[in-house]
Amino acid sequence: MKTYILQRFIQMIIVMLVVMLVSFIIVELPPGDFLTTLREQLTEQNVDPKVIDSTVEMYRARYGLGENWVIRFGKWAWSLMKGDMGYSMQHNRPASELMGERLSLTMWISIATLVFMFIVAVPIGMLSAIRQYSAWDHSFTFLALLGVSVPSFITALVFLLLSVTLLGATTVAGLFSPEYVTAEWSWAKFVDMLKHVWIILFIVGLGDTAGTIRVMRARMLDTLGEPYIDTARMKGLSSAKVYFRHALRVAINPIISSIGMRFPQIISGSTIVAIVLTLPLIGPLLLDSLLGEDVYLACSILVVLTLALVIGNFLADLALAWLDPRIRFES
Amino acid sequence: MNNAPDSDKVLDIRNLEVSFRSIAGTTRAVNGVSLDVRSGEIVGLVGESGCGKSVTIRSIVGLVPSPPARFENGEIWLRTRRGMTETVSLFKDTKALRQIRGRDVSMIFQEPMRSVHPMMTIGKQITEGILEHEVVDPAEAYERTIEMLDLVGLPNPAGQMNRYAHELSGGMRQRALIALALVCHPQLLLADEPTTALDVTIQAQILELIRDLRERMSMSVLLITHNMGVVANLADRISVMYLGKIVETGTVEEIFKEPAHPYTQGLLASMPSLFSQPKTHLQSLRGVVPELSMVPKGCVFADRCPHVMPKCDETPPVVELRADHSTACWLYADVEEPHGPDAATTLPAPSDDGAQAESVPSVDVIQLTRSEPVSDTGEAPPVDDGSVQLQIENVALHYPILRGLLRRQVGTVRAVDGVDLTIRRGETLGLVGESGCGKTSVGRLVTRLVEPSAGRLRFGADGQLEEITHISQKEMKRVRRSMGMVFQDPLSSLNARMNVRNIVGEPLMLHEIARGKAVDERVGELLEMVGLRAAHQSRFPHAFSGGQRQRIAIARALATEPSFLVADEPVSALDVSVQAQILNLLLTLQEQLSLSMLFIAHDIAVVRHVSDRIAVMYLGKIVELGNALEICVRPIHPYTEALLASIPLPMPGLETVRELPKGDLPDPANPPTGCRFHTRCPYSQPICAEEEPVLRPLSGAADHFGACHFQDELDLQGVEEIGDLSPPAVVNAGENMSNTQAT
Ligand code: SF4
Ligand code: SF4
Repeated sequence: MKTYILQRFIQMIIVMLVVMLVSFIIVELPPGDFLTTLREQLTEQNVDPKVIDSTVEMYRARYGLGENWVIRFGKWAWSLMKGDMGYSMQHNRPASELMGERLSLTMWISIATLVFMFIVAVPIGMLSAIRQYSAWDHSFTFLALLGVSVPSFITALVFLLLSVTLLGATTVAGLFSPEYVTAEWSWAKFVDMLKHVWIILFIVGLGDTAGTIRVMRARMLDTLGEPYIDTARMKGLSSAKVYFRHALRVAINPIISSIGMRFPQIISGSTIVAIVLTLPLIGPLLLDSLLGEDVYLACSILVVLTLALVIGNFLADLALAWLDPRIRFES
Repeated sequence: MNNAPDSDKVLDIRNLEVSFRSIAGTTRAVNGVSLDVRSGEIVGLVGESGCGKSVTIRSIVGLVPSPPARFENGEIWLRTRRGMTETVSLFKDTKALRQIRGRDVSMIFQEPMRSVHPMMTIGKQITEGILEHEVVDPAEAYERTIEMLDLVGLPNPAGQMNRYAHELSGGMRQRALIALALVCHPQLLLADEPTTALDVTIQAQILELIRDLRERMSMSVLLITHNMGVVANLADRISVMYLGKIVETGTVEEIFKEPAHPYTQGLLASMPSLFSQPKTHLQSLRGVVPELSMVPKGCVFADRCPHVMPKCDETPPVVELRADHSTACWLYADVEEPHGPDAATTLPAPSDDGAQAESVPSVDVIQLTRSEPVSDTGEAPPVDDGSVQLQIENVALHYPILRGLLRRQVGTVRAVDGVDLTIRRGETLGLVGESGCGKTSVGRLVTRLVEPSAGRLRFGADGQLEEITHISQKEMKRVRRSMGMVFQDPLSSLNARMNVRNIVGEPLMLHEIARGKAVDERVGELLEMVGLRAAHQSRFPHAFSGGQRQRIAIARALATEPSFLVADEPVSALDVSVQAQILNLLLTLQEQLSLSMLFIAHDIAVVRHVSDRIAVMYLGKIVELGNALEICVRPIHPYTEALLASIPLPMPGLETVRELPKGDLPDPANPPTGCRFHTRCPYSQPICAEEEPVLRPLSGAADHFGACHFQDELDLQGVEEIGDLSPPAVVNAGENMSNTQAT
């Protein structure tokens, strides 16, 4: 078990390094010197030449520009680790400032979506398998199919439309009511966010939830057909024990192992929704930076997202190892 | 409960009818089955796949999901702790049913590998059963579980408690499952093909265990199996089932000595036994078990029965032949005294498998000149006069075991570890051994599907031997034209998306032997040669039954007119009667096309039946090699003796007195030192663990090789001796059947 965790941990570090290296190469790729570009930009904006000089100098030192690439990479990576995400050309502000709140909101929404997905999809999928071909099964199979095939931005648009036309609402879009958007964090703001967030969870999580229902149903059906389930039944166990103690823990395996993979999906899914509903998430910022060729910002976001993904995967692996002895003994 | 059966019966099934509804219609899987099991008795329910055995046995405990199943008729009475209980009426009352399961009646299943929960410790799984039924504290349940594990013969029972399924071998899992089933002392154990998935020596151990536990726990057993040998050794009474009906019931002795129903006779005759005349055609039933929806009216066996008569359109009555022997067949309905003393000899016998029987007279085997293997014993290799088809010298196949992130090599599996073999033209060499012994790897090596790690392969397509050890794939393609291959699982070895014409014709096109129309013609010929219709070229593999698919695979293997065929377990996935058809086909084709063959199988009876010589493999080494009959009559290696002893003989009352090999097969990655068999050998001496015996001829017999230190001293038992001891019943029954003319 220890070697397993260690292995996974090393893998995680390796993946992180590779992604950072690739990002770094992308950052370095644009022709011309970053400093030159920066200087030009700042000059264009009529910044005081002294400030320009000092800013440029600061970046030169920080990123070791002009030295060999290993040192440059090291310095860049180090500053990333310290939380310095670089400088956004487009917005003319440090990237970390831009990402700040958006990042944490995105994380919270992603995690909440995952939890939502689990709580909704696992029981529904399980029951659909147990009651195969029942009315319950048929309806959720249909709904899940719908959920998988309707793109989330359509759901978002439909929601917008419905709430504006039917409810006369003006505040569906966004994560906060207008009066809280710029307000400091407070209990009231938090409560206000909760009021809005469930719609977002629903819209963002619908596709994944539907997919998970289908996976769960199929896995549960497979598992119920396994001989060890017959063994369990023949002990005289109640159906509930057979389903929960014996079948569920096997059936849920692939769903847990897919958690890590779901993060990027949720983030990209939420991006589109965030654009439609004008939510302050990280996705739109990434899109923006990519469109604006804002390399530092884009790469920083990528690195941070990868970090989240890799950590998510690591946690999923740990959970799996804890659940499944076969994995625990593998190493 | 006034119609409850007498208390002597543990189980009484009366006229059970179960049907399944689907969109395709209703099929009746169990069609009026009556069956009983008395106290302390072991009853065998025998039949081929798809005949309804499993549904019957699962119905007893309500494990058949309904819907789609419908219990149309019948009662199942079971002796429980609350007296006789009718279980069909309980199917809706899951609580009552649950109290019976595991406590009054238990069940073990066919696939021990998959029947233990993969993510729960053994101990937890078993104690769970106790805690479900009895009010005991967990510590006591824990203790009892350990005792039970000890009783089923698991080594270090306390240590097994915290282990998981994947840490146990198949045999150990089946033992654990038996412990799980019996921990609450049920009166009846239902065993659904409990040994089918296990290796032969392990199968023998498990059967022994069941027999032993029956006494010690004074329980009854209902055992279902397709293997006549298994019931002969274990059961007191037998019921033979065919397409949802019991066609014959009787004591083991009666059924084996005087099988009455044509189906029983056919089943018995189609098994290659250790007594049959090798290389002769087996009596096989024609055709295959039909789909349930195509069951003939009247007698269900009518479409395959060699004695079918007009009356068979009506359902035959159950005729009592003796007190404990009954059959459902018209042949006996009118006979005034059906149970005369010589009933058996007057019984009509099934004729040979239709089509093939006509075209092929029984094969007369010309005794081949015996060949010696090339071995490191200094034997002169045979002169290369073109009479040798294949010669492999000191061939090895080693796999690295890789671990960890960096795929470091932490060990080596020596799948094949220095094997010498010679196959002469026209000869069949049988290669026999249990799983993991490397026999399949040898087959893959000689066809160069895998690269040998060491050694030399020489193959003579049609003339001199030619070195093929390291020739390029392109050259190998030319050589492969002379090699055919048939594998175990016809479904997975045939591309499901290709039609039969392309499957069989592919080698023709690959080797540019034929093109376009010519392919169709040749494929048609090939199909007819293997007993299929040429017109079926455009069909896809799934439209055929298992036996037919194997015929297609054989046709494909023979498309390029090879002189050499590798057959790797070609019949082990097939039903008994179909198995006989395929063996017959292989024998016929070998004769017609003068093929040389490497025949690989785990069942020494099957191997003996088709081979001229046999090589016995154990953990990557050949431990014995010699003439097929000789090896079975006078084995010189203890492992061969063990293999022979493990084959359940279809001869009741014949207890094998020989000691069975102990324990499990060792890990091939870590074989024992010295003689690899010493961990399981009953004759093992200190030297065996230290020095590795080499394969050398038995003194005084230049063509019989063994790799045992004591082969010249040991007096091992083969089969013929045992055959002589017993009444010659079965041997003769088989003979009689073929001699008696059908009415
Ligand atoms: S003789 Fe008639 S009744 Fe008897 S098995 Fe054959 S077909 Fe059935
Ligand atoms: S060498 Fe020893 S252990 Fe090996 S088979 Fe012979 S007697 Fe048994």
